[in-house]
Amino acid sequence: MIRIAFAGKGGAGKSSISGSFARLLSRRGGPVLAVDSDPLPGMAYSLGIAVDDHPTPDNVVVEGPEGGPKWVLRPGLDAAGFIDTYASTGPDDVRYLQFGNTWGHFQTLQRGQHAWSQVVREMDPAAWNVVGDLPGGTRQAMFGWAKYADVLAVVTEPTPKSLHVARRLLNITKAEWAPSQVVVVANRVDEDEDIERISNALDRPVIGSVPNDPAVVEADKLALSPLDHRPGPFVEAIEQLVGVVESTYDMDDQRATKGKP
Amino acid sequence: MKIAVVGKGGSGKTSVSGVLARSFARSGHNVIGLDCDTNPNLGLSLGVGDLETERLLSLRDQIDEGEQQHAHTWDDILDAYGTDAPDGVRLTVVNRIDNPEPD
Amino acid sequence: MSAEQLLSSVPESDTVIVADLEAGIGTLTRLPEASVDSTLVIVEPTPRSIDVGQRAVLVATERKQGHITIVANKVATHEDEERIRTAFGEHPVVTVPLDPVVVAADRQGASPVDVDPNALAISAIGGLVPVLIETTDT
Repeated sequence: MIRIAFAGKGGAGKSSISGSFARLLSRRGGPVLAVDSDPLPGMAYSLGIAVDDHPTPDNVVVEGPEGGPKWVLRPGLDAAGFIDTYASTGPDDVRYLQFGNTWGHFQTLQRGQHAWSQVVREMDPAAWNVVGDLPGGTRQAMFGWAKYADVLAVVTEPTPKSLHVARRLLNITKAEWAPSQVVVVANRVDEDEDIERISNALDRPVIGSVPNDPAVVEADKLALSPLDHRPGPFVEAIEQLVGVVESTYDMDDQRATKGKP
Repeated sequence: MKIAVVGKGGSGKTSVSGVLARSFARSGHNVIGLDCDTNPNLGLSLGVGDLETERLLSLRDQIDEGEQQHAHTWDDILDAYGTDAPDGVRLTVVNRIDNPEPD
Repeated sequence: MSAEQLLSSVPESDTVIVADLEAGIGTLTRLPEASVDSTLVIVEPTPRSIDVGQRAVLVATERKQGHITIVANKVATHEDEERIRTAFGEHPVVTVPLDPVVVAADRQGASPVDVDPNALAISAIGGLVPVLIETTDT
């Protein structure tokens, strides 16, 4: 099973790419759970799921034991049960786990966060491919929110601002919990020089190159998934990316067995 | 006057901040550009260039690693972690840099 | 010192402080009440960006972060502008057109002002100066 998380500067295109990636991976047959840890909704749009705050009810968690997390899933509710009950189902059968209700009520948000984290940590690694979308910037990524992933894909545009953030994200390789692969995906690429600029600046292989596709800009304005609005060069590039990521798993010969405790 | 600039990542927050700061300076105001982003890029939009923006970043990294003294007052901060941008704007980076941590 | 502490503790003066906050609304939710005189909410004409902007307006209002001005950024069509005006109701909206000069500046890592000082987007952003002075004077 593939476990990949996308990170990068806000606006670099993480959500468009991760949502499309999740759906295309699902079309190849495996069960896909899309996990969005951004408190502001993003991935739902690109999955083609109506954006709404679906707060998980407060009673999914109870106060945790002393010294442990503040909130834990209530007795009798495990990760599998939580996904079954509370993950939305979107096009191409992708299941989607949103971070929590985000409209102002931070007490509620905190419970949702704990539930989300516990589910991602404890879910059966053999049951799902996991495709994650992290909020823009380095904060969550640096604090271990992508621990569930084997592959951390750093999405960058060929602009100095985007590359600054990407360079800092690559420091994650120094962390003890670092995903086994940290790779770069180039987005909004106009010309070959852009790729060169990115690989020179980051000194790391670029495993995907996603072209500047006006259809994605339109899809953004229409709140549609790139897969549901004039699919073209962007979607083709993501299809290739799915293939590349799958092949690295084949090489590792770790499919269906790998998962982090 | 203190102005906070907010928005979704990629909305053009930093470009607007940079141009706005330069516009205030060109109309005769003393201006400080305060980069509060954990991924500080305001230097680029103010026109101090990539190298100087990186230099300010590495300065902040040294502080976090204890190789530099923390500045404690507003003036110290302007002095120690700032640089002069075109049109007389003073740029200061105040973010906390995140290093990867075990948890 | 965190950005939040710093921004709330800066002494009042004639100096104009333009604070570029972290993307999203995190800093805004942690910023002590009434830390700033004015909040600029930058919004692109996409539902996602508008959604984040609306949340920012809600938090800035609740926490009394001064006058709120919406900057409709990267506006390409009349519909783009209308969509943002409709979404923000009573708040003043200043429109900044989608401008190739800003895109070019981004790619070069330069200030748009230094790429072309006469660009349309720059005049539009410069138009905020009197608006901000006026709203914070009253």
